[in-house]
Amino acid sequence: MKNSILVGFRPFTLSLLISVAFFSCETVIDADLDTGPAQLSVDGTVTDQPGPQVIRLTQTAAYFSSAKPPVASGATVSVTDDAGKIYAFTDPDNDGYYIWQPPTTGDTLGRIGRTYKLAVKWNGDDYSATSVLNRVPTVDSIVFRNERLTPVSQRFGYQAEYYARDPAGATDYSRIRFYRNDTLQNSTSQIILAYDGAFRGGANTDGLMFIRPIRQAANPDSLYRMNDRVRIDIQSVTEEYFDFMGQVNTQINNSGLFAQPPANVPTNVVNANPKGRKATGFFVVSAIRSRTAQVIKENIRAK
Amino acid sequence: MGNNLTMKHSILLKTQSIASLFWLLTILGPAFGQVNQRPAMPAVPQQTVSGYIKDARNGEGLIGVSVYVKETGTGAVTNNYGYYAVSLPAGTYTLIISFVGYTKQAKAIALTGQNLKLNLELAEEKFDLQEVVVKATREEDNVKSIEMSVNRMDVKTIRRIPALLGEVDVIRSIQLLPGVTSVGEGATGFNVRGGSIDQNLVLLDEAPVYNSSHLFGFFSVFNPDAVKDVKLIKGGIPALYGGRISSILDVRMKEGNAKKPELTGGVGLIFSRLAYERPLFKNKDGVARGSFIVAGRRSYADVLAQPFLRGDLKGSQFYFYDLTAKINYRINDNNTVYASGYLGRDLFGADFGFDWGNTTATARWNHVFNSKLFLNTTAFYSNYDYLLDSDLKRKPENKGDYFRWKSRIVNYSIKPDFTWFRNNNTITFGGQSILYDFQPGEATAASAGVVRSFGLKSKYALENALYVGNEQQLSKRWQLQYGLRYSFYQYIGPGEAFTFSADTPPGQRRDLTGVKTYTGRDVIQTYGNWEPRFAAKYELSDLSSLKFSYNRLAQYTHLISNTTASIPLDVWSPSTNNIKPQLADQVAGGYFRNFGKSGTEFEASVEVYYKWLQNQIDYIDGANLLLNPLLEGDLLSGPGRAYGAEFFIKKNSGPLHGWISYTLAKTERQVTGINSNEWYPTRFDKRHTLNTVFLYDPLRSSGQPSRWSFSATFVIASGTPATFPTNRFEYDGFVVPQNADALRNNYRIPAYHRLDFAATLQGSRRPGRRNQDSWVFSVYNAYGRRNPFSVFFRQSPDFTTLSAGSNPVTPTAEYQQQPTTQAVRYSIFATIIPSVTYNFKF
Repeated sequence: MKNSILVGFRPFTLSLLISVAFFSCETVIDADLDTGPAQLSVDGTVTDQPGPQVIRLTQTAAYFSSAKPPVASGATVSVTDDAGKIYAFTDPDNDGYYIWQPPTTGDTLGRIGRTYKLAVKWNGDDYSATSVLNRVPTVDSIVFRNERLTPVSQRFGYQAEYYARDPAGATDYSRIRFYRNDTLQNSTSQIILAYDGAFRGGANTDGLMFIRPIRQAANPDSLYRMNDRVRIDIQSVTEEYFDFMGQVNTQINNSGLFAQPPANVPTNVVNANPKGRKATGFFVVSAIRSRTAQVIKENIRAK
Repeated sequence: MGNNLTMKHSILLKTQSIASLFWLLTILGPAFGQVNQRPAMPAVPQQTVSGYIKDARNGEGLIGVSVYVKETGTGAVTNNYGYYAVSLPAGTYTLIISFVGYTKQAKAIALTGQNLKLNLELAEEKFDLQEVVVKATREEDNVKSIEMSVNRMDVKTIRRIPALLGEVDVIRSIQLLPGVTSVGEGATGFNVRGGSIDQNLVLLDEAPVYNSSHLFGFFSVFNPDAVKDVKLIKGGIPALYGGRISSILDVRMKEGNAKKPELTGGVGLIFSRLAYERPLFKNKDGVARGSFIVAGRRSYADVLAQPFLRGDLKGSQFYFYDLTAKINYRINDNNTVYASGYLGRDLFGADFGFDWGNTTATARWNHVFNSKLFLNTTAFYSNYDYLLDSDLKRKPENKGDYFRWKSRIVNYSIKPDFTWFRNNNTITFGGQSILYDFQPGEATAASAGVVRSFGLKSKYALENALYVGNEQQLSKRWQLQYGLRYSFYQYIGPGEAFTFSADTPPGQRRDLTGVKTYTGRDVIQTYGNWEPRFAAKYELSDLSSLKFSYNRLAQYTHLISNTTASIPLDVWSPSTNNIKPQLADQVAGGYFRNFGKSGTEFEASVEVYYKWLQNQIDYIDGANLLLNPLLEGDLLSGPGRAYGAEFFIKKNSGPLHGWISYTLAKTERQVTGINSNEWYPTRFDKRHTLNTVFLYDPLRSSGQPSRWSFSATFVIASGTPATFPTNRFEYDGFVVPQNADALRNNYRIPAYHRLDFAATLQGSRRPGRRNQDSWVFSVYNAYGRRNPFSVFFRQSPDFTTLSAGSNPVTPTAEYQQQPTTQAVRYSIFATIIPSVTYNFKF
């Protein structure tokens, strides 16, 4: 979890210091790796937003495989809520994307407070995963400030800061995603997770405004330009997902002096047969609240 | 400390309960010795010759000087304060006093029924190489001393070794000795005989130093200008020492020149150094009763860079410094007091930053009861703390928005150590009491003006130990050292004790099942360990000996670190009801031999060792180690084993000298829940390590030493183990590595090798010129090898995921672009690093 804190701070100074002071360098090399047997991999996020919902099923592949991941096709996929309602996901074109189409336009699948169970029948194994749809804070406003791209840069851009308040009471876990001109910013360094609007292992921030490092995390490296449209999504997640995504973050950014031992990330997908082949990936249900703002004069604040 | 009474009470109780052990040993030890004495050592009345041996140049007490009685073949070695005592029947004798680098002295004495006080000064050997060839020094100790598995390095040698960026470094230097490695370049700390970095007791004037590095692992915290003696004990650890299970690094500070004021210093690429020492309390005859030294170092890159810093970097802080000071005062012949202190800090950050450092303070009192009984009492305070701050500069505009995080570990200790010189026995006994105060973390967050704090509760512990040991000359050939230490540990309140579910599958986070709150100094958990120590030496001849040792050690503090190199944010934890003390049993055997001109031109040794370790900490996958009150639920533990062979050959004399060491070693661990419960190599396991150090002091045609001297080191070592993935899967556009069998350390990174050079030019010595100066030119990593620190795996950084559908949070068919993956070698100091340093002395 150390990384998540450091990533949250965009610790430019630290990385500069380490790279300069240690004359460090990175070289891409050849490595000869063994490959293990393929496993089912679930990439499923179901939301409370209107429109179709998608669950992607693939299989694990050799680490250096550059092909598209093998599809897990022909599976029977459904999501059931705790009121007993069943939502069927189908993949008529066998591309691994299993889709639920709302019966009427504007219908939604997810409802805050409900529990959802994913069932996947594939290759003779029964897999399942459960997730709760938690409450989510709203994005109250987004403002911009003219800042240097990095502390040493001569170039400037507009740094976004959004405001959101953590709901008082139970611990709220969320993931923040952001879009620049409708393009999701989703590089490995842009995974933002919040624990009561702050870092896990920090102070008790229940009910507070999200802390500044989290409020300012939704920025691309080059910051924004005048007239860019910026969208911020806060997505409620479960504690298990927070752990999972935190570990994904650690494992895919696991380099340098302070790397942790590489380890498999957890999964909430369980094979009913304990001796059967295990699955990877995660199933989560989320509520999403969004706000979009444009980098225009009215939204720019003095430093 | 408002609870002194309770503490004292518990110490007393324990003292009584094992007082019998004490008496038994103090009485039995010498008795055993007498029974086994040679007939040549009759139990006739004996007198004692005792005193201090000091350096003639600056009055520093000399540690480890050999005092050898020619007629009886017996002798003694000066203790850590330069004190010695030898008991002999009446008669006339010749004492041979010798110490490496100093001119040997022979002193005729006559014992006529009275104890004799004999203080001596040894002169440093003139740098005249013709003499060097014929010198007889303590190098024969390789064979004669009972010590084994001990690496001693004098500061003169450390200064000669080519240094990274020209900065002379104690800890980097000891890594050139057999059995000492590190996980990689730039990593904090060092690993001794397969032990982890928290298993080394690093002592600076007897106070433990918890983080021995500046700038992560770049430089060690010891200022070479203030260090007198460095000794690393890897095995056969005497009963005097305890508290860590792998090694003792005993660093002793200089006392300060007691003869004349002296100013030394230097300017290097990283540090500027300055030290001042002088005599104190001179009497009418000009003899000083005391002296002091104060030495400081500071990195100055920030000072040079400051005018060039623009924008948000203006006013940023990145520097580290340390300050060392020591004073001593000789009250009379029988009482000397010392006070010493160390303060070091590292600050890095423009906005977000770190601030960490150690502080130690030591007070000592040497008391000679009579010529045979010597007491040193040490009291120390040691503190290590760090701060992580979202705004190190504390800008006013961030008053309502910041994030701060603090942690510290504080020790208070008192430690009486007696040395009793009795016939052919040197009996040591004493004890130690340490009060630990661990503050694992305290966080403060302010958001939009609202400030919240959250702290983990402090953890307190009390560690007491009593020991007795004896070093006994059984005969001219046999020497024994044996002892017993009993350590008694209490995890005490106020605090909370957690219990965790026992039936969680191994390797997963254990659920909390109960919390018990303790107030006052309630005892939460108690551990006690008997720690036997034994060493034996048999001299096959004057030039060769066999040695054997066994020791058991217990450790009640644990560094909680899950990263390749330890980071300053790592916290220490005491042993608790869930974390059991670490234990190590080590056996070692060795053959020691000297040969060549005058018998000591070369010294060589072969040692083998095997260590059994218990309760080694490891971590569940994804362990949450920072500010986690339920940290213990994320810890795993298991046994470890380490074994190996160390080969060492050293050339002591001649213009070309130096050493070669080769270590063959293996270290493994078995932890239920990791690596399918099978043994796996630790991250710092290195099969082969070869270190060579060459020092060359050329002679001019006149026979005088040249002003130039040279040195070179070459090291080559096996790559360390690493965990490589077998498979990948995609999640949310990210490539996540997967190891199908969840193996740990299933591969090795490529081998490490490096060549360094240094050349020193001494300033010319003209008559009448008092000051000395020198230039040191060095090249680190001479052929610019990109040695791997680690090999890691990632998706190609130039890949960006595209996704912008009607429901973009869910993966859509637009994830058509395929992320590729790569293996990356990460190297540190991956280039030729030249440097120049200027040193001076007035």
